[in-house]
Amino acid sequence: MKAIRGILLTCDSAVKQILLTMNEKSSFIIEDLDDYHVVIKADEEWRVRQELDAELEKNTYSLE
Amino acid sequence: MAAANPDEHGDVNSEASPHALLTFLQSQSQNTLSRLYQKPSSCLSIFRLLGPLDRQLVMNLLWLDSAIPASTMNAWVTREGRKPYEASLGILSRLHILPSSPVKLALNPTFKTSLRQAITGGGTSGSFGVPAGNDDKHTTPSVEKLDAYALERWETILHYMVSSGSGRYPAKPSQGVLLLLQRSGLMTSPHGAALQITSSGFQFLLYSPHTQLWELLLQYLHMAEERQMDLVEVLSFLFMLSTMELGREYSTEHLSGTQTAMLEDLRDYGIIWQRKASSRRFNPTRLATTLTSSAPPLPTTSGSGGTTQSQGFIVLETNYRIYAYTDNPLQIAILNLFITLKSRFPNLVVGAITRESVKKALANGITADQIISYLTTHAHPQMRRNKPLLPVTVQDQIRLWELEKNRVKSQEGYLYTAFASQADYEYVLDYAKKLDVVLWESAARRCFFGSLEGHANIRGFIERRTAGNV
Repeated sequence: MKAIRGILLTCDSAVKQILLTMNEKSSFIIEDLDDYHVVIKADEEWRVRQELDAELEKNTYSLE
Repeated sequence: MAAANPDEHGDVNSEASPHALLTFLQSQSQNTLSRLYQKPSSCLSIFRLLGPLDRQLVMNLLWLDSAIPASTMNAWVTREGRKPYEASLGILSRLHILPSSPVKLALNPTFKTSLRQAITGGGTSGSFGVPAGNDDKHTTPSVEKLDAYALERWETILHYMVSSGSGRYPAKPSQGVLLLLQRSGLMTSPHGAALQITSSGFQFLLYSPHTQLWELLLQYLHMAEERQMDLVEVLSFLFMLSTMELGREYSTEHLSGTQTAMLEDLRDYGIIWQRKASSRRFNPTRLATTLTSSAPPLPTTSGSGGTTQSQGFIVLETNYRIYAYTDNPLQIAILNLFITLKSRFPNLVVGAITRESVKKALANGITADQIISYLTTHAHPQMRRNKPLLPVTVQDQIRLWELEKNRVKSQEGYLYTAFASQADYEYVLDYAKKLDVVLWESAARRCFFGSLEGHANIRGFIERRTAGNV
């Protein structure tokens, strides 16, 4: 058996799809577990969160 | 000696939970408390902080000369009253006011003597403060002046806290106050840089002034122990202040060394006023005289801009717009934590709750519930006619924004995979489950994810197992 160090991300399926698309550009996913869980490389977490925030921000509209 | 009249101020403790100070006192040794109870002013103040039932019990026992059988007392209690009665006895015995005994009930003799003295006004111990004689050179400061001073000091502290997040620094409170804020965890200086407000600091800003004051004073008491100050002296001075009369001058001559040292700290908090540091007389402000009463600790009438301290002033509409009828810079600064301000008029600021403003607040550690409860407590009287008080759309949206922030949860750990057989997998998984470290599992894929803490144990377990098989 194997033990792989990583970070378990728990998210909704929409976020999961964004993560998969992002993974095609630069790979960071270690294992795609199911609809709500993925394991990613520990040192990529900060970058992934930043990119994800930027991506989600594109879908909101402000009154300002 | 003039005994303070307990009827003059209202009850401080009509709600169920005991006062924060009582919790602190309960953790003190019997010796400390006994010394404290020698002062009539302390006994009276503590009596005022007690709950209604506790006070009732104390009053019933106060004028009895001998102990009464516990069964007599029990006979007064109805069946529904049993639980509150037991709870009251518990509190009183932890405070060593009424030593718990299954047979006889009698008040702590020291407490009894002092409280009797406080009520009848006998004795010359000066525990209620010694009024200063007439001063020909200076006139006594008026109540308005004291109120303005207390308000200015207190708001300086709060304003400093609220502005630290924005990078603008208004008037700085004294070093002692800054240390206190830092020690109480309300502010922190990351990597020795300038003080920054913490998440609990933001929560502190949304409390009522009475709670804020006691939270700081409790921290002061904790620090007093470390500074080798005599806790009894510190406490009895606070209690003395709380029974003093607003607008009257008191002499510093009868204070002990510790208490003289405290004058400087209390001046910084706005609890007392002195003409100058070396002055031999001091005036308690409203912050001091309301310490153990339910009267508002800060003046409600217009001081220097403090127009609406206790009344509500916020109107919130369903379109997320906020109208706040205030010209108080502190209140505006607090609102600025979670709304976007648009325009400002002499007695009114207009703003809106936006996604950006709420996200900023959430990033500061303020929770959606705190925003909602602040808006509820400070809602304008006009809003009180609405049911529910705040528009549901806005409440829901604030909560949704909070959820949005937590769309992705991350947990560090290890993925265990490629097990040789199903039996192997189940065996290890079973062990991991016993340790309660499994975050995710899938029998079909024959793998599971365990938290970081469990890894050392699981690795050890597998190594022992493989070693055993060989």
